[in-house]
Amino acid sequence: MNKRLTLKQRNAIVGLTFILPWLIGFLIYYVGSLFLTIQFSLSKVIIGKTGGYTTSFIGISNFKNALLVDPNFNQILVNSIIDILIDIPFIIFFSLFIAILLNQKFKGRAFVRAIFFLPILLTAGAVQSSLQLATQHIMGGASAMMKELTPSSGVNVNYFLGIFQELGLPSVLVDYVTSLVSRIFDIVRASSVQIIIFIAALQSIPNSLYESAKIEGATSYEIFWKITFPMVTPLILANVVYTVVDSFVNSNVVELAFNEAFTNYNYGLSAAMSILSTVAILLILGLITLFISRRTFYYN
Amino acid sequence: MINDKVSLKFHFHIKRHRKINRSMAGNVTLFIFMGIAGIFMAIPLVFVVSNAFKPLDELFRYPPTLFPRHITTNNFSDLFVLMSNSWVPFSRYILNTIIITGGGTLGHVIVASLAAYPLAKHDFPGKNLLFSMVVLSLMFTWQVTQVPNYLIISKLGINNTYLAVILPAFAYGLGLYLMKQFMEQIPDSLLESARLDGASEFRIFWSIVMPNVKPAWLTLAILQFQTMWGNTGSQFLRDEQLKPLQYALFQIVNSGPARQGAAAVVTLIIAAVPIIFFLIFNSSIIETMTTSGMKE
Repeated sequence: MNKRLTLKQRNAIVGLTFILPWLIGFLIYYVGSLFLTIQFSLSKVIIGKTGGYTTSFIGISNFKNALLVDPNFNQILVNSIIDILIDIPFIIFFSLFIAILLNQKFKGRAFVRAIFFLPILLTAGAVQSSLQLATQHIMGGASAMMKELTPSSGVNVNYFLGIFQELGLPSVLVDYVTSLVSRIFDIVRASSVQIIIFIAALQSIPNSLYESAKIEGATSYEIFWKITFPMVTPLILANVVYTVVDSFVNSNVVELAFNEAFTNYNYGLSAAMSILSTVAILLILGLITLFISRRTFYYN
Repeated sequence: MINDKVSLKFHFHIKRHRKINRSMAGNVTLFIFMGIAGIFMAIPLVFVVSNAFKPLDELFRYPPTLFPRHITTNNFSDLFVLMSNSWVPFSRYILNTIIITGGGTLGHVIVASLAAYPLAKHDFPGKNLLFSMVVLSLMFTWQVTQVPNYLIISKLGINNTYLAVILPAFAYGLGLYLMKQFMEQIPDSLLESARLDGASEFRIFWSIVMPNVKPAWLTLAILQFQTMWGNTGSQFLRDEQLKPLQYALFQIVNSGPARQGAAAVVTLIIAAVPIIFFLIFNSSIIETMTTSGMKE
């Protein structure tokens, strides 16, 4: 009994030494930011004229402002969450599907994989801003560009909507489909990282499993559901978490909080907004994780 | 041994092929679908490449042309002139980028893998709490925590150094999360047998766990490289000597309509580097077998 405890303790110490480099950075940088954000959300932040800032404690009035006074926050939060929930299943299935296709052996596989990784390269940060800036310089402002882009996609969506409604499909379904169609490029773009993660997951499935299944005479369908799918479930969970985080980071509610801080200089309200939306997202994420992890299969 | 494996794979390859032949129509549909999706995604890249070779008057043509009518390399020479006129030598910017991108990517992969190993394969008090904190930290986006981040960096006294950009990348939670999910797939018995043979924990980590999750850390390296490459570091790096290539290139894009030729080349460079990195790393993600060394 005593010996067992020391083994446990030794394990704990070894574990901690492995984690330590990461933990120090994490505690200082991320947990530190978290506490400062909470502090800001509970106080009025005044920026000094010569630089620096002072905070005075005002309780939960920032949260009250966000929920009860701000005209947009509630609605934007709800809409962002609904958007995320609509996108998740589609992104996960689409990326798993593409990953399985790209995992097969064919000529130029690396090249095709790169093509599916392109959206994230071309829309992320620097490339997109330089493309956008270049377009603005060339076409004379963002507004002109927007005008060019809107009508074509608008017409398409309405056209689809009309067809579906005449077929007599329920309007909820039609709304779901049309919102997917109108966001298809966003969804494809948002699947890039997930595809890469799924490919890595598929690569780490031991070949011997497939071999024995083939020897036993399993069909491709059975192999997918009995081997491939269970083996990638841990990464489905990871991908769901990544998808939620990624959609949240790019959602309107984060943008609202960002604008509140950097155009209105209301750091307290901005911090309160980001805490509220984070809590809401975490609740949803917790539920989804609970739901999926019950069905997750670990090799051991 | 290796030959055996190859012939075995080849054998299965043929076998699989025969099976798929039955659903030729499905294959054709898939091919068409992939083709359309691929073209859809590749068109922006075609634009980026062809823009770099267009003369200035063609760049401003509306509607834009997909392929340049008069191919020119003037844009490249323009960019070189701009580069050689810059106040800080361009090689300095390149060096900065190598330090920031390389350090951030390497550090992130190593630190995240080290931390993920005990989280996936050991038991210790507070493990679940720690892991929940990781997920929580992912939600705190830089857009929102910019101000606290800045305060912390300046309190640490590393503002305006490379460390201000590199260190936060070390502790970012996504890599840890991914590596943990992959490491959980490694059979316990494999680690157990190494332990019985007297391998230290670090030895197990380095010679058994890491080779087995090679696809995972190569993937992580690709993702992190892409993030670090896009980092202009403009929040923390004030000295012109410390700024990365991204920043310098961005100034050129930003410098007005007359420089758009050079700007098109800049966009090409910014996009091309991560793509090349991706191609190199992805081709080295070859099939690794999780249970290699296992006989059950």
